[in-house]
Amino acid sequence: MSRVAIIDYGLCNLDSILRAVEVCGGTPSLARTPDELAGCERIILPGVGSFARAMENLRVAGFADALPNIVEKNGIPLLGICLGMQLLAQTGSEGGESDGLGLLHGQVQRLVPTRGERVPHIGWNDVTLPAPSPLFDGIEPETDFYFVHSYRLESPAEEILATVDYCGTTVAAAGRGHVMAVQFHPEKSQDDGFRLLGNFLAY
Amino acid sequence: MLKHRVMPTLLFKEVGLVKGVGYDSWRRVGPAMQTVKVYNMRQVDELIFLDIAATPSGARPDFHQIDELADECFMPMTVGGGVSSVEDIRELLWVGADKVAINTAALEDKDLISKGAEQFGNQCITVSIDFCRHGDGSAEVMTHCGRQQTGLDPVSWAREAEARGAGEILLGSVERDGTMQGYDVEMIRTVSDAVGIPVIASGGAGTFAHMAEALERGGADAVAAASMFHFTELTPKDAKRYLAEHGLQVRL
Amino acid sequence: MRFTNSCQTEGFDGMVQYCTSCLYPDTKPDLSFDDNGVCSACAAYAAREDVDWDARRGEFLDIVAQYRSADGSNYDCIVPVSGGKDSTYQVIRLLEVGMNPLCVTATTDALSDIGRRNIENIKHLGVDYVEMTTNPVVRRQINHLALSQIGDISWPEHVAIFTIPIRIAVQHGIQLIVWGENPQNEYGGPASASGGNTLTRRWLEEFGGLLGLRVSDLPEVADIEKRHLIQYTYPEDTDLARVGVTGIFLGYYFPWDGWTNALIAQAHGFETAPQFVEGSLANYENLDNHQTGIHDYFKFLKFGFGRATDIANNHIRRGRLSRADAVQMVHAHDGKFPWTCLGKPLDEVLSDIGMTIDAFNRICDQFTNKRLFVVDNRGKPVRDANGNLTLADSGYGSES
Repeated sequence: MSRVAIIDYGLCNLDSILRAVEVCGGTPSLARTPDELAGCERIILPGVGSFARAMENLRVAGFADALPNIVEKNGIPLLGICLGMQLLAQTGSEGGESDGLGLLHGQVQRLVPTRGERVPHIGWNDVTLPAPSPLFDGIEPETDFYFVHSYRLESPAEEILATVDYCGTTVAAAGRGHVMAVQFHPEKSQDDGFRLLGNFLAY
Repeated sequence: MLKHRVMPTLLFKEVGLVKGVGYDSWRRVGPAMQTVKVYNMRQVDELIFLDIAATPSGARPDFHQIDELADECFMPMTVGGGVSSVEDIRELLWVGADKVAINTAALEDKDLISKGAEQFGNQCITVSIDFCRHGDGSAEVMTHCGRQQTGLDPVSWAREAEARGAGEILLGSVERDGTMQGYDVEMIRTVSDAVGIPVIASGGAGTFAHMAEALERGGADAVAAASMFHFTELTPKDAKRYLAEHGLQVRL
Repeated sequence: MRFTNSCQTEGFDGMVQYCTSCLYPDTKPDLSFDDNGVCSACAAYAAREDVDWDARRGEFLDIVAQYRSADGSNYDCIVPVSGGKDSTYQVIRLLEVGMNPLCVTATTDALSDIGRRNIENIKHLGVDYVEMTTNPVVRRQINHLALSQIGDISWPEHVAIFTIPIRIAVQHGIQLIVWGENPQNEYGGPASASGGNTLTRRWLEEFGGLLGLRVSDLPEVADIEKRHLIQYTYPEDTDLARVGVTGIFLGYYFPWDGWTNALIAQAHGFETAPQFVEGSLANYENLDNHQTGIHDYFKFLKFGFGRATDIANNHIRRGRLSRADAVQMVHAHDGKFPWTCLGKPLDEVLSDIGMTIDAFNRICDQFTNKRLFVVDNRGKPVRDANGNLTLADSGYGSES
C-alpha cells in the first residue's frame, strides 16, 4: 500500500486524484507544505490553471525549493499531471516567462496549430509510445486519454515517454528516471488512466 | 487523432433533473445522483451538468451537490448554471468540475471570461451560447435560460468570447431543444468556422444521424444530447458505434 | 468528499410545492400543476367525470371481439399477472366477457408465501397459466447492481414484467395483451400518454421507468452475460409487427380503483395481509415481493414521498379520506426505514443479494436527496431513533 502524497497548493480539485489513487490501491494524503511530504513513498503534483500563478503558489508554500531537493535526494518517484507536468519543466511561458521546478528538461510553450487544430486541446486522443516504459506497462498503443490543455512541454527526445499527434507531435508523457509526467488526466481517463496510475504506484 | 466527444447533458432544477422543450415545459426526469452514476458506469466521454434554475432565481451554484456528484464521477465534467463570478468558478473547480460553463454572466460582465481564463487557464472556461432563430432566419443570442433577448448575433459573440479567452463554446439552439428533430447544423457550421476553439453542438439531437450531421456538415468537435438519452433506449455508446461506422473518430 | 468553507446553498429554500388537493410533491417526475396548484394526477382523475364509460365499455367489447380467436385454437389474449389484486381483477373481468386468456407471470425477485398462494388462486379462477422465472442467481446479481448503481432494487423486475408477456405473445402468436392500469392516467404524466391506450416500444422506453439503466449496460459493467439476459430482451420490432402484438390498458375502459379491485378480488379468493404492508397504507397490495419495501423506501429517499402517499392520494381523490387525515396517516407510515419487508428482516433480504446492512446504509445516503430532508451540519441526513429520516418540509402545503 503506497503512501502517496498529493501536493495541494490551493489551485484545484484533488478529490478525483485522491479517489483514483485509492482505487489503485494507494493510500493518499494531501501535502500542503514540504514537511507533510515526510514518509511518503510517491508524490503526485497535479495542476489546473496558469503556469505563473501555480509557480507563485508553489514558491509561497515552499515547494519550489524543497520539492526538487526531496525528489532528487531521496529518489522518491514523482508524477506530474497536466499543469503539474509543465511545472516540472525548466521554464514556462504562460502568464509571462517564469522558471519551473527544473526536474524535467524542456520548455513549456503554447500549442500552435499545424493542420488547423483547435486550441485548447480538449477531449480524448490516442498516444503513441516510442518505446516501452514502466509507466505505460500493459497499455496498448493508441489508447485514448483525456486531454485539456493549451500549453505543452517540449521535451528532449530521451525524456519522451509518449506523444500525441496534435499541433504537430506533442509530448503526452515525459520522464527522467523516477520523475514522470503526463499531459493528460489519468484520473479522468477511466480504466486506462487507472492502469497508468497503478504502474506509477508500482514503479 | 482527437476523438469527437458524445456528451450527455444533465439539466438540474431545484431538486432534480428535468428535461424541457424549447427551454420550457420542464418535465422532471428523476434524481441527479442515479443518472450520474449510470453514465459513470457507462464510462461516457464527458458530462455536462447545468443548473437551469440558478440564474433566473439569482442563486449561486450548489457547490455541495456538485461535490457529491463529482465524487461519483470518474469522467470529465463541465458544470454551469448560476456562475457569475471568478469565485464561483474557483469553487466549482475546487469541488470537482473540470470545466466551468458560463452563459448569462459572460454577457453581463465580459471581463469574467478573461479573468477566469487568466486565473484558471482558457481550457477551464466554456462559454455557453444559447440562440434562437427568428422568422426571417436571423439568429439572436438569448440569456437567462433562453428567456431574454440580447440583440446579439451568435457568431459575433462567439468570436468575442474566444478573443476574451474562452477555451470552448457550447452552442445551444433554444427552439430545437427537446424536439429531437436535429441540430441547427447551419449555425453550428458558421460558428465552427468563425472560431479556433472547440465547439460543442447542443439542442435537437434525436438520432445518431443528427449527431453525425452536426459533426460532419456542421464541423462541431463534440455533440451534446439530453432528451435522446433520457427518453429512449439509445446510449452514448450506441451513438459512438454509429459514428464510428460512418467514419467519424470516436473513443470506443 | 471535501466541503469548502465558503459555499452556501442559495436560491432553493427547501420549500417543495405540494398539490393543494392530494399530497404529491413537485419532485415527482412527469407531474405538473395548474394555476390552482392542483396536480395533473388529480386533474386526470377529475377528467373521468367527462368520460362516457358506457361507450368505453363498448369499445372494450369491440376490441376483445376483434382479437378473440375465431376457432378457439389459440388464446384470445395475454394477461400479464402478478397474482395481485389488480391482475386478479383483470382476469375476472376478462372471464366475464367470455375471453380465454393466457395468464403470464414474471416471477418476482423474492416471492412471498402469500404471493404464491395468490398466484394459485388466479389459476383456480380457471385459466391456463405460464410462470416464467428468470435465473435467480443472475437476478440477484442484477438486483445488487441496480440497487447500488441507480438506487432501484426492483429494476430487473420492472423490465421483466414488460418484456416477458410480450415475448410470450410473440412466441404464441397472440396479438392482444391486456394490462391493467396505465400508470400515467392515475399518477399523472404528459398528456400524450394519458389519452393513449396502447403500449408501443417507444412508450416502454419513455415511461417504462427504466431509470436510465439499460439491459445492454449489464454485460459491459458486470459479469452478467448476454445469454443470461434473454428474458429481459424486448422482441424485435419485426417480430412484433409479424404477429401484430398490441396492448391495451383495462384502466382506460373501466374506471380504475385499486381498493375496489381488491374487494372484487377478495370475493374471488384473493388473500390479503393481516396488517398494512410496511411503509404503506394497504394490506391488499404489494404482497408478493420481499424486496418491494426497499424499492419503495428509495422512492422516498429520492423524491420525498413513498407508497403511503400514493395510496392516500387514491383515497383522497375518491372522497374516502380527507386531506387532513391523509397527512396524519402519511406522517405515520410513509418512508419508514424498512427494518422488515413483508415480515422478513432486512438483513435477510439483503444477504440474499449479497449485500451487508452497512453497504445498504451507504447506498441509502448516496441516493437521499439532501435538499428534501433534515441534514446535519456536515450535510448528512439526520436519522431518528428508529432510523427514519425527517422531511425538511413536511407541512404538505398550507392545508395540514
